[in-house]
Amino acid sequence: MAANGNGIVASILFLVVCGGVLALLLVLAERYILNFGPCTIDINDGEKKVTVNGGGSLLSLLASQDIFIPSACGGRGSCAYCKVTVTAGAGEIGPVEEPYLSAGERAGGTRLSCQVKVRGDVAIRIPREYFSVRRYRGRLLVKKPMTHDIVELRIELLEPPEIEFIAGQYAQLESKEYKGREAVMRAYSISSPPSDKRHVEFMVRLVPGGICTTWVFEHLREGQEVRLSGPYGEFHLRPTEAPLLFIAGGSGMAPIWSILRNMKETKSTRHARYFFGAQTQADLFLVNELRELQRAMPSFAFIPALSNEPEGSGWTGEKGLITDVVSRHVRDASQHEAYLCGSPGMINACVNVLKTAGMPESKIYFDKFA
Amino acid sequence: MKQSPREQEQTKLFGPSKFSAGGFLGNDPRQPEEIIAADTAALESLGVDRETVAALLAAAFDKAEAALGDVVELKPGVVAVHYEARGKIPSPFRGDGVFQKGEVVVTDRNSGITLYVTRLGIGMIRNHGFFQGRGSRYRIEPEDAVRLAG
Repeated sequence: MAANGNGIVASILFLVVCGGVLALLLVLAERYILNFGPCTIDINDGEKKVTVNGGGSLLSLLASQDIFIPSACGGRGSCAYCKVTVTAGAGEIGPVEEPYLSAGERAGGTRLSCQVKVRGDVAIRIPREYFSVRRYRGRLLVKKPMTHDIVELRIELLEPPEIEFIAGQYAQLESKEYKGREAVMRAYSISSPPSDKRHVEFMVRLVPGGICTTWVFEHLREGQEVRLSGPYGEFHLRPTEAPLLFIAGGSGMAPIWSILRNMKETKSTRHARYFFGAQTQADLFLVNELRELQRAMPSFAFIPALSNEPEGSGWTGEKGLITDVVSRHVRDASQHEAYLCGSPGMINACVNVLKTAGMPESKIYFDKFA
Repeated sequence: MKQSPREQEQTKLFGPSKFSAGGFLGNDPRQPEEIIAADTAALESLGVDRETVAALLAAAFDKAEAALGDVVELKPGVVAVHYEARGKIPSPFRGDGVFQKGEVVVTDRNSGITLYVTRLGIGMIRNHGFFQGRGSRYRIEPEDAVRLAG
């Protein structure tokens, strides 16, 4: 009996010792075998160089150096937002990222930064705008309904307390966990003007079943702390004197509203027309503010158009699909620049209308909801 | 049905995630491959293949999307409307890539049957014959797809 007990104790002791040895081996392996030491990440051919401890993903190591690449999945390799060009030191394309890369992207060195392990010196190319991207902690000051399915959020920035951005850019808002839903990051155009550095505003349209928009509509409260990162994006006014056409619908209003307010503040005299498409008067918002802008800026015209307004409603403005209305108003667009924001379907249809009116495709800038 | 570790990993992708609040299986207790097998049998009895059904739904989607949010009539008594959404959603089938968000709601005014059609949903039907689990908002019964979009 005693001998049996001793045997059990000895066995347990043996297992514990074995476990300890294995754990020690893992620690040593991590320190001496998987430790890739200091690695240099060369960004944009020497424009910036950072030194990191190798072993992590390119996405996370860049974030540790305050360089934030857009990502919606947190590095799981499933959103494909974190693409960068790697010119040296990337290693082979892995099975997770391969489906997200076209043949052209593979040939050009495009990689998902979350899937690239930094095991030595790496050289990458990223848009310069990423250098100015920061993570922000803020507080929701105002949540205001604009239509039945669009709310405006006004957020006071706490840390850092100010943001620099160009009108038209977007930020990523981070939702919090709720009802078993994971925290996610989603992109929204900034609707406030760049002059208001201490606040950012967004216009969020409710997507049925959408994780972030449901959080915004049902769980986010005024006074609550929020986190976001930005600014991102290349949708902004080009510094020319060409007359402008803005076309948007729904929450596509946001970047245009920022650009227009910035134009007013900078006393821009560029000729500009803003076509905003909606179905009924109930889907219109900021109409009074835009009419006011029209009075303050003689070279600006706001043209809302309704495609499904009931007869006899008293609406005296434009009627029809936004594409038809633009067609009627813009016979010759060859000298114009156009800025579009909305669904891919709307953008594609409008691009066709503008090209038919003589606008070169190179003069059409858009923020597709993509 | 016993699953290999790889199949278990794949099944996880069909549940609620950062991309799909409700997941793709709804409250259907079946595994994805069981759902696919049952719907494949349903398609055979209807005399159509999954590519044909996907093409019908894609045509309905395109027509509604072109109407920029207005209601369009697909055929007498059947209407569709497109709702835009920002961003893309990855397929739960590894290797299928990402799809533009946004949905088209197809309604049969006579029967009241409603289909919620997405680019991702069409892609999963075309590539895998996966019509999603029962209880999922985006589940499409094969016979409804043929009847409403055909």
